[in-house]
Amino acid sequence: MQHLPMLPILLPMLAAVFMLLPPLSTTITRQRVFSILVMVLLVIGSVFLLLDSHQQGTQVYVLGGWQPPFGITLVADRLSTLMVLLTSVLGLCAQLYACAGDDNDGMYFHPLFMFQIMGINGAFLTGDIFNLFVFFEILLIASYALLIHGGGKQKTKANIHYVILNLVGSSIFLFALGILYGTIGSLNIEDMASKVPLLGEHEQALAKAGGLLLLVVFGLKAALLPLHFWLPKTYAAASAPVAALFAIMTKVGVYSILRVHTTIFGEDAGALASIAIPWLWPLGWLTLIMGAIGVLASPSLRLTSANLVIVSVGTLMLALAMEREAATSAALYYTIHSTLVTGALFLIADLISEQRGKAEDRYVVARNMNHAKVIGIAFFIAGLTVIGMPPLSGFVGKILILQAAQGVVEMAWIWPVVLLSGLACLVAISRAGTTIFWRSTGDSPDEEPISALKLIAVALLLCASPLLVVFGGVVTDYTDLAADQLHDRAAYIDTIHEGGE
Amino acid sequence: MNLLWVVLLPLIGTLVPLLTERFGRNICAFSVAILPAWSLILVLMYAGGIFDGDAIRQTIEWIPAIGLDLSFRLDGLSLLFLLLILGIGLLVILYARYYLSSKDSMGQFYAYLMLFMSAMVGIVISNNLIQLWMFWELTSISSFLLISFWWHKSEARKGARMALTVTGAGGLALLAGLLLIGHMVDSYDLDTVLASGDAIRADAYYPVALILVLLGAFTKSAQFPFHFWLPHAMSAPTPVSAYLHSATMVKAGIFLMARFYPALAGTDLWFIIVSLTGLITLLLGAYIALFKHDLKGLLAYSTISHLGLITLLLGLNSELAAVAAVFHVINHAIFKASLFMAAGIIDHESGSRDMRKLNGLWKYMPYTATLAIVAALSMAGVPLLNGFLSKEMFFAETLNQSMLGSLSWIIPLLATVGAAFSVAYSLRFIHDVFFNGEPIDLPKTPKEPPRYMKVPVEILVTLCLLVGIFPVYVVEDLLHVASFAVLSHAVPEHNLAIWHGFNVPFFMSLLAMVGGLTIYYNRRHLFQFQAQFDEPDAKHIFEGAVQRVVSTSARITEKLENGSLQRYIFLLLISTLVMGASPLFDLSQNTGSRAQIPIDGVTITGAVLLILSAIATVIWHRRRFLALIFLSVVGLVVSLAFAQFSAPDLALTQLSVEIVTIILLLLALFFLPQNTSKESSNRRLSGDLFVAGMIGCVIGTICYAMLTSPLNTISDFFLANSKTGGGGTNVVNVILVDFRGFDTLGEITVLGIAALGIFKLIANMRIYMPTRDDKGRAWSNDPHPMMFEMVSQSLLPLALLVSVYIFLRGHNVPGGGFIAGLITAVAIIQQYIAHGVQWIKPRVKIDYQWLIAGGILIATATGLGSWIFDKPFLSTWFDYFNLPWIGEFELASAMLFDLGVYLTVVGAVMLILANLGKLTTSERIISKENV
Amino acid sequence: MEAIYAFCVGVLTTCGFFLVLRGRTFTVVIGLTLLSYAVNLFLFASGRLKLDGAAVLGQSAEYSDPLPQALVLTAIVIGFAMTAFVVILAMRSRADQGNDHVDGQIPELPIKLGSSDKRNG
Repeated sequence: MQHLPMLPILLPMLAAVFMLLPPLSTTITRQRVFSILVMVLLVIGSVFLLLDSHQQGTQVYVLGGWQPPFGITLVADRLSTLMVLLTSVLGLCAQLYACAGDDNDGMYFHPLFMFQIMGINGAFLTGDIFNLFVFFEILLIASYALLIHGGGKQKTKANIHYVILNLVGSSIFLFALGILYGTIGSLNIEDMASKVPLLGEHEQALAKAGGLLLLVVFGLKAALLPLHFWLPKTYAAASAPVAALFAIMTKVGVYSILRVHTTIFGEDAGALASIAIPWLWPLGWLTLIMGAIGVLASPSLRLTSANLVIVSVGTLMLALAMEREAATSAALYYTIHSTLVTGALFLIADLISEQRGKAEDRYVVARNMNHAKVIGIAFFIAGLTVIGMPPLSGFVGKILILQAAQGVVEMAWIWPVVLLSGLACLVAISRAGTTIFWRSTGDSPDEEPISALKLIAVALLLCASPLLVVFGGVVTDYTDLAADQLHDRAAYIDTIHEGGE
Repeated sequence: MNLLWVVLLPLIGTLVPLLTERFGRNICAFSVAILPAWSLILVLMYAGGIFDGDAIRQTIEWIPAIGLDLSFRLDGLSLLFLLLILGIGLLVILYARYYLSSKDSMGQFYAYLMLFMSAMVGIVISNNLIQLWMFWELTSISSFLLISFWWHKSEARKGARMALTVTGAGGLALLAGLLLIGHMVDSYDLDTVLASGDAIRADAYYPVALILVLLGAFTKSAQFPFHFWLPHAMSAPTPVSAYLHSATMVKAGIFLMARFYPALAGTDLWFIIVSLTGLITLLLGAYIALFKHDLKGLLAYSTISHLGLITLLLGLNSELAAVAAVFHVINHAIFKASLFMAAGIIDHESGSRDMRKLNGLWKYMPYTATLAIVAALSMAGVPLLNGFLSKEMFFAETLNQSMLGSLSWIIPLLATVGAAFSVAYSLRFIHDVFFNGEPIDLPKTPKEPPRYMKVPVEILVTLCLLVGIFPVYVVEDLLHVASFAVLSHAVPEHNLAIWHGFNVPFFMSLLAMVGGLTIYYNRRHLFQFQAQFDEPDAKHIFEGAVQRVVSTSARITEKLENGSLQRYIFLLLISTLVMGASPLFDLSQNTGSRAQIPIDGVTITGAVLLILSAIATVIWHRRRFLALIFLSVVGLVVSLAFAQFSAPDLALTQLSVEIVTIILLLLALFFLPQNTSKESSNRRLSGDLFVAGMIGCVIGTICYAMLTSPLNTISDFFLANSKTGGGGTNVVNVILVDFRGFDTLGEITVLGIAALGIFKLIANMRIYMPTRDDKGRAWSNDPHPMMFEMVSQSLLPLALLVSVYIFLRGHNVPGGGFIAGLITAVAIIQQYIAHGVQWIKPRVKIDYQWLIAGGILIATATGLGSWIFDKPFLSTWFDYFNLPWIGEFELASAMLFDLGVYLTVVGAVMLILANLGKLTTSERIISKENV
Repeated sequence: MEAIYAFCVGVLTTCGFFLVLRGRTFTVVIGLTLLSYAVNLFLFASGRLKLDGAAVLGQSAEYSDPLPQALVLTAIVIGFAMTAFVVILAMRSRADQGNDHVDGQIPELPIKLGSSDKRNG
C-alpha cells in the first residue's frame, strides 16, 4: 500500500468529479448513497494510514518521483494522519446529517463537500509550503461555495465578509511565500527547516518577516484575536452540516502554525527559533477571554457553539505557546475532543431550531418540542463535554493542559483563564439548556418526525466523547508520541531525506 | 475487584428504574433497592477487616497521562460514610416510593438518585485525587438534576442552576488545588499525599493549595459566605432534601476536609480559615433558622448551622475535636434525615409547610409527631439522645483550644449562644407544628401517612435513641476507626459516657437549654426586631448578578464585533503591518550585495505609466467605469513587465487572464451601480491611506532587500532535468505539468470549484436588469450588430487553430494548456456576444460542467496512470517518434495532463461567462436554490 | 532598476489595500485585483530580476529562476478564480440585499459616523 498517503486526497477528489458526471450527477439519491460510501471508505483508509505511520514510521510520498526538496512530497506522520482521520470522521457525520435533506436545498452540495474534504486533507498531508497554499485555496473556495448553500440574505452577507477577508489573507500568504522562497530558496518544509539556521543575518530579518506574516494568515484561519471577528456570524449563518464541517477549519489554521512554527521556526532554528511564541502568548490568552465573553453573550445556540470554537482556539494557542511536548500532546487531545463536540453542537442546534418554529435556537420561551427528550439528552452530553465536566472528554483535555503548564509564571497565566472560561461555559450552557428545554409553553405542535440519519450523525459524534475518556490511556499515549515526533526536528529532516531516496 | 463493584453496582442501578418503571411503583422501588443493598452488603463484608485497623486498596491503571487511575481505598472514614450513604439511601428509596405522586416520573427520579448515590460512593472510596474530583463533579451534576426535578417550577430551575454554578465553581477551585497538591508531591495517589503531609505544609504553594481545596469544601458544605444556595435547593422533592442535605451532598465538603486532615490541617492558616468560617456559619445558620416559617427552610438553615459546627471542630486542630467532628457527622446525618422525612410527611399529609398555618397537628398525627419530636430534641441536644453526646464533646473542645490566645474564651461563649439558638428553633419546630392551637385553613385535613412511609423515620429515630443511650456498644468501634483514618495515627482517649459529672460542658448545655427556652418564649420581640430588616433573597441577587455579567459581555461583544467588514480588514492590515515591520528594525542596511540591473528609459516609462494608472484607479474609484479602464492599463503594464524580465509564459497568461477578467468586470458593472457618492470621512480616508501606505512601504522595502541580496535556490535542478527528465525545453511549463504538477492539479480544481460555486450563485439570482445607464442613456437595443456577427463567426476557426498551436508548443516554448484554454473560451464567448444565447443553444450541445469534470478527471487519470508502472502519482513518461511527412515528434504523458488543464479552463470560463451572460437574457437558470 | 521595481510593487500594494478598505463591493474587487498584481510581481521578484534570460533551454545564455514563474502562474490562475467568484458574489449580494455595500446595508449619515472614527461604515 505504498500509495496509501494519496488516498485521503484522491478519493474525495475523484468522488466529487464523478458526481459531476452522469449517471451520478442526475439524481440526488445516487449521490447520497455514493458519497456516504466514499466517506466510509475514507474513514477506513484513514485508519489504515494512521496505523501504518504509527507502526512503520512516517510515510513519505514523493509525487512524480522527484526526490525532495525538488518535487512535492506528502508527509503522513502521526500528527497529519491523526488530523486526516479526525476530518474523515467529522466529514462522515456531517454528510450523514446532510443526506437527511439539507443537501437538497441547493446545487452541487456533495461535490463541493468532497472538494472541501480533499482540500482539508491535502493541507494536513502536504510537506511543501506552496502546495499548502494551493490546498488552502481549494478548501477555501469550496467553503465559499458551501457557505451560500441553502441561500438567503444572511448567508450572502456572511459570505461577503468571509470571502473578502480570506482573499486578503491569501494575498498575504503569497507575500510571505515570496519572502521565504526569496531568502531560503526552497519550498519543501523539511528543506527549509534544515536551511533556516544557516541564513545570514540579512536574510534572517527578511525570513522572520515572512514567518510572522504566515502567522497572520494562519491566525486568520484559526480565528486568533484580533482576526476572529468574522467567525461567529459566519458559522452561525452556515447551514448545519456545513457549520459542523467548518469545526475542523479553524483547526487547519492551528495545525499549520504547529507545523510551520515548530518545524521551520522550531526551538533549534538558530536566530529564528520560536519567533511566533512571543505573539502567541498574549493573543491566545485574549482569544480565550474574548471567546468566553462571547459564549456568555450569545443569544442563540448556534452563536454559542461558534464562540465555543473561539474558546477552543484560544486554549489551543496557549498550549502551543508553551512549546513543550506535554503541551503539544495536550493540544492534540483537546483538538480531537473540541472538534467533534462543537461539530455535534452545531447539528444539535439545527435539530432544536427545526422543532421550535420561529424561536429557532434562540434562548427565549417557545412552544414545546417533540422529541424534547432525545434532543435534550444529546444536548446534555454535548454540554457536559464542552464545559469540561467529568466523566466526558472535556475534563481530560482541560487537565492535560493545566498539567502541562510548568512553573509559577505559566500557571499564573494559564490556570485562571482556562478554569474561569470553563465556569463561563458552565453558566452559559446551563442557562441555555434550562431555557430551551424547560421554559417551554404548553402547546405541543403537530408531530414532525425527526430523521433517523440526523440522529445517527449526532449520536456518532457524541459517542466519541465517552470513548475518548474510556480509552484515554491509548489516545494520550498516541498524542504523546505524535508530539515527540513533531518536536524532534532532526529526525523529521532525516525521514524526508530517506523518503526521497 | 470487589471495591470497584461497590461503586459500580449503584451506577448500574441508574438503569434499573428506567427498565422496571412500567411494572408499577412497588416493583420499581424494590428493584432499585436491590443493587445498593448488595453493595452495602459488600461493604459490610469488608467491615470486619477495617475494624481490625487495616485499609483495603485496589488500583487499575487508566489514563497515566493525567495521573488518573481507577484506585479505591476503603478505610474507617470511607466505611463510615459508605454506611451513611448507602444506608440512608436505601431508606430514602423506600420513603420516596410513597412520597412521589403518580404524576412524577418515578423512573427518572430513581435514576437521578442512583447516579447521585454512586457519585457519593465514588468520592468516599477514591484513592486518587483526579478520580475523587471526577466523582465530586458528578455529584454536582446529579444534584442539579435532582433539585430541578420539578423543572416546570421557576424556583426549581433557578435553585438548581444556583447550586450547580456555586458547587461547580468550587469544583474548579478544588481541581486547581488538587493538581497543585499533586504537583507538590509529584503523585496523585491519595496514600502518597496523606503520607507526605509535612512536605505539603512546608511547600511554598501550601497556602494557595489550601485555600483552593477549602473553596471546594466550603461551597459544597454551604459554609459562609457560600451558604446561600442550600435553602434554595429546598425546592427539590423532600426525599432529595432528606438525602442530599443530611447525609450526603453537603457532607461531601466535610468529608473532603476530614480526608485531607493529615495532609493539610495543623497549621495556623488552617485554624484561622476553617474554625472562623465554621463559627460564623454556625451562628448565622442557627440565628436565621429561628425566623423561617417554612419547615424545610428552618431545617435547611439548621443544617447550615450544624455543618458550621462540624467545620469549626475540624478547624480547631485538636485530635479530640476531630473525633467529635466525626461523631457529629454521624449524629447529624441520623436526626436530620429523620426530620426532613417527618417534614415531608407533614407536607404530604397536610398540604402545607408553613408553620404559621401548621398548628396542633398532635391531634391528627400523634405517631409521626412523637417521632418528629424525638428527632427534634436530639437536634436540640437533649440528654439521652445522640445529639447531646456530640454537643457535649463539642463544648469540651471549645474549652480546650487556646488558639486565640487571651481571647480564646470567646469561642466557647459563642458556641453556647449558637447552641441556645438551635434549642430555640428546635422548640419552635416542636411547639409551633404539633401544639400551639389549631391548624389554620390547611388545604386538607392532616392524617397519619401510609404505614411504610413511617418506617424509615422509625428506624432513624430508634438509632437516635440507641446511640444516645448505649453509645459505647453502638458507635464506639465505628467512631474509633473513622477517627483513626482522619488522624492517620492512634486515636486519643475519649469517653462516650452519657454522664461526665457536673463539669463545664454540662453547664454550657444547661445554659444553652435555658437560653433556648427564654429565646423561644420571647420570640415575639425577636421577630419584631428581625422584621425591620427586609431579608435579601439570594435567588434574585444571584440571578441579577448573572444577568449583569451576561449583559456586560453582550455589550462588549456588540462594541467590538460590530459587523463592519471595514473594521475587520483594518485590524487584519494592522496585524500584517506589525508582523511585517517588526523584524525590519533589525535589518541594518536593506541593499544587498547582488549586482543590480542598470536603469533604461523603456522601463522607466513603463514604471511611470504603471504608477500613474494605479493612482488614477484609486482617485476615480467611485467612477467605476473609468477605474476599470485604468485597472486594465495596470494589468497590461504588469504583463509587459513580465515579458521584459524574461518570463514570457507569465506575460501571455497575465494578458489572457486580463482580458477575461475585464470582460467579467464589465458584465458585473452592468448590474451594479456605475457611480457612488463619497461615503467615508476624510479622517477615515487618511487613516486607511496611512495604514495602506505603511504596508506598501514595508512590502516595497522587503522586495528591494530581497531583489538585491544573492540567492542560490533549488531551481538549477529544474534547469538541469527539464529536458532529460521532463522531456521539455520550456522549464516553466515542465515545472507546471511535471515537477510540480500536483500544484497545477490543485489549481485547476480551484478553477473548477469556483465555476461550480459561481453557477450556484447565479442560479435563481433575482437581479434587476437596468435598461439604461445611470446617465439615463438607453442601452443599445440591437444586441447583435451585423458586422460583428460576420467577423466573429469567421474569426472562430482561426482562434481555435491558434489555441491548438499554443497548446501543442507549450511544452517546449511559451504557451500551454491554460493559455490555449483561455483563448478558446474567449473565442466562444465572442460567439455568445455576437449571436446571443438563443442562437448558440442548439449549436453548442456540451454541458460545461462535464467539461470541467472531464478535464480534472483526465489530469488525475494521467497521474494515476503511473501507478500501473508502479511509479508514484504523476510520474511522467515521454518518448520521441518518427512518422513519415510529419517527422520526429514527441509524445508525453504531460501533454495528456495539459489537455486536462485545457478542458477544465474552457469548461470553467464558459460556465461562468455564458451563464453570467444569460442573466441579460430571458434564459435565466432556475434551480432549487431558494433565495 | 531593482529600486524602481520595488517601488512599483509598493505603490500597487498601497493602492490595493486602500481600495480593499472601502465600503463598496465593486471597489473592493478592484482593490483585490490591484493587490493580486502586486502579489504576482512580488512573488516573481523572489527569483530576482534578469533581462532576456527566458527559462527556455537553448534560447539564452543564463536563465532566470523558473520556479517563481511557475508559482506566479499558479497564483494568477487561482487569483482569477477567486476574483470571478467574488465578483459574482457581489452581484448576488446586490440582488439579495438591494445594495452593494459590503455590510449589506448603507450606513445612515456615513460622514458623521466616520468622523467619530467608528469603523462601521
